[in-house]
Amino acid sequence: MSTAAHAPASSNRHRRDWRALLTRHEMLLLYVLIAEWLFFYFAGTSTNRRGVIVGFGTWDRQFDILRHSCEIGLLALALTPVIITAGIDLSVGSLLGLCAILFGKLWHDAGLSIPVAIGLTLGIGALAGALNAILITALRLPPLIVTLGTYSLFRGLAEAITRGSITYTDFPETFLFIGQERWLGLPTQAWVFLSVALAIGLLVHRTTYGRAFRTIGLAPEGARYAGLPVERRLALVYVLAGLIAAIAAIIYTARLGQAKADAGSGYELFAITAVVLGGTSIFGGKGTIPGTLLGVAAIAVLKNGLACLPVVMRLNAAEEMSGLFTGALLLAALTASVLPKILSNLRSRRHTATQSTSTLSP
Amino acid sequence: MKNSLLRFCAAGAVLLASLLTASAADSKLIVAMLPKSKGNAYFISCKAGADKAAKELGIQLLFDGPTDSNAAKQNEIVENWITLGVDVIAVAAENKEGISTALRKAQKQGIKVLTYDADAMADARSFFVNQATPQGIGQTLMDEAARLVGAEGEFAMIVGSLTAANQREWQKYVEARLKEKFPKMKLVAVRPCDDLKDKAQSEATALLSANPKLKLIMAICSPGVPGAAEAVKQAGLTGKVKVMGLGLPNENKRYVHAGVTDSVILWNTGDLGYLTIYAGVALAKDELKKGAKSLKAGALGSFAIEGDNILLGQPFIFNQGNIDRFDF
Repeated sequence: MSTAAHAPASSNRHRRDWRALLTRHEMLLLYVLIAEWLFFYFAGTSTNRRGVIVGFGTWDRQFDILRHSCEIGLLALALTPVIITAGIDLSVGSLLGLCAILFGKLWHDAGLSIPVAIGLTLGIGALAGALNAILITALRLPPLIVTLGTYSLFRGLAEAITRGSITYTDFPETFLFIGQERWLGLPTQAWVFLSVALAIGLLVHRTTYGRAFRTIGLAPEGARYAGLPVERRLALVYVLAGLIAAIAAIIYTARLGQAKADAGSGYELFAITAVVLGGTSIFGGKGTIPGTLLGVAAIAVLKNGLACLPVVMRLNAAEEMSGLFTGALLLAALTASVLPKILSNLRSRRHTATQSTSTLSP
Repeated sequence: MKNSLLRFCAAGAVLLASLLTASAADSKLIVAMLPKSKGNAYFISCKAGADKAAKELGIQLLFDGPTDSNAAKQNEIVENWITLGVDVIAVAAENKEGISTALRKAQKQGIKVLTYDADAMADARSFFVNQATPQGIGQTLMDEAARLVGAEGEFAMIVGSLTAANQREWQKYVEARLKEKFPKMKLVAVRPCDDLKDKAQSEATALLSANPKLKLIMAICSPGVPGAAEAVKQAGLTGKVKVMGLGLPNENKRYVHAGVTDSVILWNTGDLGYLTIYAGVALAKDELKKGAKSLKAGALGSFAIEGDNILLGQPFIFNQGNIDRFDF
């Protein structure tokens, strides 16, 4: 890396510019993603009995990957600012479930039109996020405990409202378009996902808010002494998380054509995995939106690709295998990111050791 | 350094991939079977039958499903199978409407779709392998009850609830059969147990003391059979008052072996899986078409088709002689 920076070659300048956008960790993740994709492209594509090309190397599959990663991707986008401030929000998956069934209820039982129901649902999501925000900022309770509480609270509420048995279905075609059709060449919900990614990306990287998040994550007391409105900035990230969870709920409902209380259970953990894989420090202060997007993509490609491999198909355990490999990928990425530091530490120690011996020798 | 790393990763991926595809060439017909949840013993026993059929027919069987009856995961698995280009998808639907969008998409891509155990929307599949009609269940229950008591005497029924649609339907056919065939038998009481074993037990105890001439208790909800058996056992009436009904073999094994419960009625889940695979393969080979009246399924012989329902036929009776062969 340092040699590249010293190289004066002007032809390299252009390439260095886009590379400068990504951190070292993100470049590594990008390579992993490309390797994953190539691997599945060659191993997971075949021609079936009817002579049709099937498996990973089809456009349908690529669109499926995009469609399936929108909800977890949105939650990961919601969680990135939260984790940058050294916080955590475990309640987003449960809130997705609560928002999904409330949306179904508003439309089906209260007879509201789809746009009004969507608007109200987004409001409810933001309010639920505000509940987290108040408990965390006003009462100064630890985010892990607060959102562990709301994690159960939101899911429990969703199950209580539907008594665990009601499922809202029969949504109109125009609504299902959001989740099941394509618009301008991409799955409709991908546009929502990309817009949110752009908005959060600008917030985190191009505004003073983003800088405040990082400062709070690194040193909350320092941020307070520096005159930053720490409570207000923290409240913002949790309200945003609630709002985005509600957007994910709408997309989830449109994709499956059903709203049930178990919607999105376990999604918060996938989202946290994607964020951490993307290079955001769980201790706060460090993290990027491009990194999170790469993390989401790496997990989605892995999950979908595994299901295409003949070996995995024969095992009938695509879901389980993807869990196993996602875990392995996360651990490998974490190891890879600390490895250079450890190596350089070792090297400098050896260096000082040889130096000290050389001074000792006559 | 980065370029070499990238090249190394790509080369490694391609190499590994080519190793794997070499073993993947396989032109067998692929039937993908989706249970409500794959850890459930009921569906595992379905799979045993399906495996047998797959071996006989020389096809590749994929059997995958959620671990927790999750409708969303069912959709994802079906969508995965669609892009894998399987030939047939057979589904036990957790959520009728939810799964149907995915199944319609599969049909659009030329994949044959059928359902078993729990149906989807009629336009989202070609056939439903129906494990039991209400009429079949009602008749088998009544005939078996009559056989146990020599077709005469008083009996009582325990039902899940007095309002549930399927329970009322079964009860209707039990009563119709009683009226038509067994004039010397008399139904003295019908009590609800709210699908609770404890409630079934207390209701059965009350029935026993109120009806001293009672010869048999028939429970048509699955917690009702062990509940009634426990009541009969505790009242010391084992053998004097017979117990039978609809239920799962495992929860009744103890009472069947102790001689308290005589017969447990359900369908043979292995046969259900077996028939589903035969129906799926017949669909894929265009041997099974709309309007067909029957279907031949290997060792099990011929099955009747009513409309778009392939009927598994009469329910199966589990008793002391065969119940240990089943594990669900």
